[in-house]
Amino acid sequence: MALTLTCPVCGKRNGYEFRYGGEDKGPRPAEEGLTPRAWCDYVHMNTCTVGIQKEWWCHRDGCGAWFTTFRDTTKNLEVKPPEAENGQA
Amino acid sequence: MFGKRKPLWGTKKRLKSSYDAVIIGGGLHGLAAAYYLAKEHGLTDVAILEKRYIGFGGAGRNTAIVRANQRTQENVPLYKEALDLWPVLTKELNFNLMFNNCGNLNLMHSEAAMKAARMTIATAQFHGVESHLIDAKEAKALVPALNISEDITFPIHGAMYHPPGGIVRHDAVVWGLAKGCAKHGVHIHQQTEATGILSAGGRITGVDTARGRIQTPRVLVSAGGYSAGIMYHMLGIKLPISVLTIQAMVTQPLKPILDHVVSSGAYHCYANQTLKGEIATGAHMDPWPNYTTQNTAHYIKHQAEALSDWLPCLRGVKFMRIWGGLADMTPDMAPVMDGNDPIDGLYMDCGWGYFGFKSCSAVGKYMAEYMATGNCPEMLKPFHLRRYENHRLMGETAALVNYTPDN
Repeated sequence: MALTLTCPVCGKRNGYEFRYGGEDKGPRPAEEGLTPRAWCDYVHMNTCTVGIQKEWWCHRDGCGAWFTTFRDTTKNLEVKPPEAENGQA
Repeated sequence: MFGKRKPLWGTKKRLKSSYDAVIIGGGLHGLAAAYYLAKEHGLTDVAILEKRYIGFGGAGRNTAIVRANQRTQENVPLYKEALDLWPVLTKELNFNLMFNNCGNLNLMHSEAAMKAARMTIATAQFHGVESHLIDAKEAKALVPALNISEDITFPIHGAMYHPPGGIVRHDAVVWGLAKGCAKHGVHIHQQTEATGILSAGGRITGVDTARGRIQTPRVLVSAGGYSAGIMYHMLGIKLPISVLTIQAMVTQPLKPILDHVVSSGAYHCYANQTLKGEIATGAHMDPWPNYTTQNTAHYIKHQAEALSDWLPCLRGVKFMRIWGGLADMTPDMAPVMDGNDPIDGLYMDCGWGYFGFKSCSAVGKYMAEYMATGNCPEMLKPFHLRRYENHRLMGETAALVNYTPDN
């Protein structure tokens, strides 16, 4: 469905040029003391947020950049980062 | 829908303050589980909570295709039983589900795909499901409208032919099961949103709804695309699910030209002719999570291009309606059915992706057994949630090229 995303290099582009890279789950967990459950959490598990979520995208058919952005899953629109996230996104 | 007239399945019931079991989601899985709980297990004090109206979600949005030619040993017996149950349920519910076992034809567009089909067919035959490999000429004999020439984008090499599959009228299943539920004493509460799931000491104690609190020792979460969000936001339990929008559409009605369900993985396109004459066709999913059911020109164009390639007689035919629904996809294309872990009395039946309709009859039967006895039936054991942390994913997708939300 119609989606416009802002690539940090190429600017606003059609959503079908991008590949969705999953919910943002923070940094990859350290190898040391890593349990199968924690790894599974990082690899497979999702919160399936109904509303605004931070997520990874890759500009697959463009410059190839990986970046995070915020999107409202109930409206399918890219949105500004929430206040708390300002400067971190 | 909510008018003054009495619904088909009986009068509106008062929401009680306690039930023996509460089912979140008035879709086919919830209705079927409630029906079997009441009918087979004598657990009649059951409430179904539905935020909108029964059949609002996937139950009324799927393309009504049923089949049992899945890929893995664990999945095939479950879908076979679901397929075998349609005629049984038609009689039992005394409601015409319009099961049309016209057969499924799964087109193969390369020698590699033919080879993969051989293995899937061997699995089906091992489990007593009729399925065989046919070549392009045989496919053409079954479906004369098929374009088997070599100058299309994906020339047809052959097909996986599965005669017992076909089409079931999905709305009829909703109405029939609702009628069956009501007959056995189940309360169907429409326009009643579950707002919280309560537990104490590791046990389920109740459900909060927009219309008040219900005490209950058992809850089944079977809310289709909304299940994963419910599990996380109400209980903090994360599931390996991505919720994607899948679109389907129908053409204007035509004279009979297609008497099989025909699908193609390479074209990402499947089609069948409904009893009204429309060609019902669906595409792949939009590849990012979404709770909207928006439609796009992108898929109308995609369907038109694909259909005019392999069913060229449809060139120039107009699409009449298009709609979208939610598919809750798991990484291994197999569902999550689990219970009593990590909370006693909490049951989940989700992650069906686009297989929820064809499985609902058998799953309702087994989830009901699970909820009534507290013990997981053999049939459902492979589908537990912990398979992901044990790295025992099922192989419903033959070769995972990319780890994406839609596989």
